[in-house]
Amino acid sequence: MSDLKQIPAIPDPDAIEPSDVYDLYFGPNHPGIEGNYSIRVRLSGDRIIEAVADGGYLHRGFEKIMEERLWMQNIALVPRICVPDPVPMEETYARSVEMIGGLTPPERAQWIRVLMLETSRICAHLFTFGGNAATVGLYTNMFWGVTMRDLFLDIFEEITGARIYHIYITPGGVRRDLPDGVLDRLEALLDELERRMPQFEDLFFNNAVVINRASGTGSMSAEQALAWGATGPNLRACGVASDIRRDDPYLVYPQLDFDIVTEEGGDALARMMVRKGEVVQSVRILRQVIPRLRELKGPVRCPLPNPLAWDLPAGEAYARTESSKGELAFYTVSSGGPRPYRVHVRGASSMHAVQVLEHLLTGARIEDVAQIMFSLDACPPEVDR
Amino acid sequence: MTDITPKDKGSMLRPLKALSFLFREPATLPMKPRPAAKAYRGFHLNDWEKCVGCATCQQICDNDAIRMVHVPELPADPAKGVRPRRPAIDYGRCCWCALCVDVCPTGSLSMSREYIHVSRDLDTYLILPDEKGMHGEPYPRGWTKDDDTDLLDLTRRNMPMEDADARADNFSEICEGYDPQTAMLEASRCVQCGMCHDACPAHMHAPEYIRAIFEGDFEKSVEWIYRTNPFPQVCGRVCTHRCETACSIGKRGEPVAIRWLKRAAVDNVRQEKTIAIALRGMAKEKTGRKIAIAGAGPAGLTAAFDLAKLGHDVTVYEEKPEPGGMMRYGIPEYRLPYDRIDADIDVIRAAGVKIECNTRLGRDISLDALKGACDAVLLATGLNMGRSTRIPGSDHPDVRAAVDLLARITAGEEIDVPERIVVIGGGNVAFDIARSMARLQRRKYGKVDITVTALEERGKMLADEEEVIESAEEGVTLVNARGPKQVVIEDGKLKGLETVKCLSIFDEEGRFHPKYDENDLILHPADMVIEAIGQMSDVSWLGEELTEQLEWSRGRIKVDDAGHTSVNWLWAAGDLVRGPDVISAIAFGHKAAEDIHATIMGETD
Amino acid sequence: MTIPAPLDEVLGELPLVAARLTAPRRVRVDARPENLPALLELLKGRLGFFHLSAISCVDWLEEGQFELVYHVWSDKLKLLLSAHVRIPREPGEYVSIYDLHEPAGFFERDIHEMFGVVFDGALSLDRFILTSWDGPPPMRKDFDARKYAEETFSTVNYHPDWLKDIEAAGGGLEE
Repeated sequence: MSDLKQIPAIPDPDAIEPSDVYDLYFGPNHPGIEGNYSIRVRLSGDRIIEAVADGGYLHRGFEKIMEERLWMQNIALVPRICVPDPVPMEETYARSVEMIGGLTPPERAQWIRVLMLETSRICAHLFTFGGNAATVGLYTNMFWGVTMRDLFLDIFEEITGARIYHIYITPGGVRRDLPDGVLDRLEALLDELERRMPQFEDLFFNNAVVINRASGTGSMSAEQALAWGATGPNLRACGVASDIRRDDPYLVYPQLDFDIVTEEGGDALARMMVRKGEVVQSVRILRQVIPRLRELKGPVRCPLPNPLAWDLPAGEAYARTESSKGELAFYTVSSGGPRPYRVHVRGASSMHAVQVLEHLLTGARIEDVAQIMFSLDACPPEVDR
Repeated sequence: MTDITPKDKGSMLRPLKALSFLFREPATLPMKPRPAAKAYRGFHLNDWEKCVGCATCQQICDNDAIRMVHVPELPADPAKGVRPRRPAIDYGRCCWCALCVDVCPTGSLSMSREYIHVSRDLDTYLILPDEKGMHGEPYPRGWTKDDDTDLLDLTRRNMPMEDADARADNFSEICEGYDPQTAMLEASRCVQCGMCHDACPAHMHAPEYIRAIFEGDFEKSVEWIYRTNPFPQVCGRVCTHRCETACSIGKRGEPVAIRWLKRAAVDNVRQEKTIAIALRGMAKEKTGRKIAIAGAGPAGLTAAFDLAKLGHDVTVYEEKPEPGGMMRYGIPEYRLPYDRIDADIDVIRAAGVKIECNTRLGRDISLDALKGACDAVLLATGLNMGRSTRIPGSDHPDVRAAVDLLARITAGEEIDVPERIVVIGGGNVAFDIARSMARLQRRKYGKVDITVTALEERGKMLADEEEVIESAEEGVTLVNARGPKQVVIEDGKLKGLETVKCLSIFDEEGRFHPKYDENDLILHPADMVIEAIGQMSDVSWLGEELTEQLEWSRGRIKVDDAGHTSVNWLWAAGDLVRGPDVISAIAFGHKAAEDIHATIMGETD
Repeated sequence: MTIPAPLDEVLGELPLVAARLTAPRRVRVDARPENLPALLELLKGRLGFFHLSAISCVDWLEEGQFELVYHVWSDKLKLLLSAHVRIPREPGEYVSIYDLHEPAGFFERDIHEMFGVVFDGALSLDRFILTSWDGPPPMRKDFDARKYAEETFSTVNYHPDWLKDIEAAGGGLEE
């Protein structure tokens, strides 16, 4: 059935034989698709018998461009690789450069980076709650999720000067220190979030319709998840306690107290619950980071040469981060010069949006396509780069 | 799908919870754009008073969004490193990353909190930012550079120097020079803006030689240096570094140590290799033309080097025992060691230049003879006579000229070193002689008693700041804003110098016209008074006939821009015609050589 | 820090494999192309390297080689091992490890698309991202992306009023 991958000519309506097998093209402009992405499904009635993912609509050629830019110039390109959750992109690139150059960011910078990463995780999950809710028709929750996230974006704006593409974490540290009072405002916002969580619970997580739709939808076993290369919340929803912050730690995570949230079932409901638990854990981490940042003084950047005259030694590094979607990794190669020789970005969605999605869609019903994709938090910009 | 019950079914009244929203304020956002945060990266602002047009922003922009615009009305001042151009930003390409703001050497670029621009007209997306903002509306400032975001290193690498005690009684070199690693670190501070190149009288390829040092390629650096300057050892120590005055990094921080990097380059390449590099591009065949140059100073030797490389037969006649001119006989050894001058001159000799010392024109060889034997003659004899103040008593034998004493010290002659000395003058030569005599005093008496009297106030001294500071460390006393009134002589013995308070030096038209307060007099007791108020040239060897033939302008031989005099076989260059320093003489030497070559090879008249 | 003994033992079983620890929890192994599938199988079977994180390709144009790097993670050893092999740029062929690690399906297809490497036995070598591309594999070092962009797309030449005024006064955009 590989003819599904070809784009067929428009058939003559009179020449079509009646049948209950038909092809449907989802996307690339479709509210049920996360981002710009296309899925071609072959249906028999309302059950999918084959699905083919088709990306490339968000290909911007970042990996090629990064080879032509200086190490410091690339910080402006890197956040754009993942639109909803750009902070881990910046951090992983910075860390891969630091690994090659043998640099260690100052302690205060590391705590600020964790602050940014965890806040970004909360934002990304709030966005996903919204997206998930929309796929089952619960638009109120979509607006709640996005609005709550917007309040966090105000904090990012204060700290970094931009709401989404922060361009804040650079090799060597972060660009500027936290402004006065932002930690207080973040704390107040976390209190507000904790006040709101019961409302999210009432409306969404404890909603019989949502639970009905999500249970058993797009379910995979732990063996399947591991074999297909699923990582992050998708893997933890199958009961596998795998988290890069614990297994392959970076920054100051070893000093922080948090649980790895797992659920059993491996279906859309379990994945939702894992993300809800992660928001709670991120809040818990932030409540440890904020007091530490209040008392810790120090520089926020390593002394580095001017970016126009900064050569890194030859070498390579594979930096891995637990982003909100799963395993994010940067393989950076330096041939000893002012520019990278190769930057390979491995987004978590490289697996989730392609092979995992295709597996899970097979046998699913047409109304669940959107829900399955959103529950996987499959992010096309990460796939296309 | 089976019916799954929620974890907490709750009571039937649960939907009434929604009533709690009845009295809650909705999250309503106003229609007007909300004000951005303090560090917001909005539209660009540029302070045209601070901006110097260095284009470093253009270099760092990773979207090629910035292009420089030449604005003719803007001031252009190469000596201060100011160019008449400002950045224009293409908002179709810009991503508002603020790297341009962070790298800007002068800190003129910043961003405002404005972020909305809606237009169908594409032309409005190319902006020339100024302080008024994109639409001329007063938005508060957003992202600006601070110590954390600044991407430049504003601190110069420390230059190891001999401390005052170690150098007080000897002439060993004070400045120790950068080791290769430190030189590379210092070179990495450069942003390659090229202001140094514009400001240098010889237009040295400073950005290129600095870049070569950064790459660790000292030989390539030496190659770039020798394209414009055959005296790297000399200039790397004593140049007046106009490049550093123009350096963009110097606008907010310490300028890149361009002069010391020149020294580091040539210090780290073996002499044989330097010679090989310097002689690259040498003409393969001799032209058969002969050229005579009078004066083995920087102007004469630079011209000699250039002409020899072009294939001419060059002889330089020098009246002193050693070549070098003021470089050797005027600058003390603790600033410029003699063997370093020799190293530079050896490179010049390697090009085939013959230098005949102890040969004075007019006495040992006549200009007529030269005119007959050569295709061209270049006069570059410099200013080797000191001017006198001609105040009463200045003809006393213990009133000496600084240039004369400096030349004697260099020549190793025994000179009088009295216990108390007063120096008249506030320029580098005054300090050269004061510091040299201080060393000799310390050797002879174990103590220093030297007073320098300068017309200028402390903040406006003509001498380099380092000279003033280091001389104070060596025990020299400086007295500012005083002019020389008379040398006091009693019974034929010099008692001291009487000075008068100087109220101003220049008149409204900027002419030299000092005004004094005759009631404020001080007597500085001394056994010797040294005059260091300027120099003049000795042209007596020209002879009456030639002096008549030549055109003169304000006491100096009149020449065109390339040094050609009104006598067609005669050129003049360097201090003899126009000063004021080594690099200017080198630049002039190049021009004269080029003109001589073109003229005698028949390309021009 | 040294390579853990179990890994060292397994690596010793294969001929001509060079290994070293490059950072905490990072091991680099340089293998011969013919040994790599066996190495990955050994690692997966004996030491728990179940997870294929990524396959990267680096184009070493001057050396005429493609470098393929297989990054595998072992939860048991808490170690990421990057196995490097070099294959000649021409013809640019290698074997697929899809049967061993399913995630290879995505990466092999991506490397084929971007670099032109053909993996024998790959899940699919169809276009995924560059659907209507007719040029050479673009991630190769001899493909000049800037030149392609300049030739294919037109640039906007702005002419705002302020520029017209400056040009009238004798100035203008430089180079």
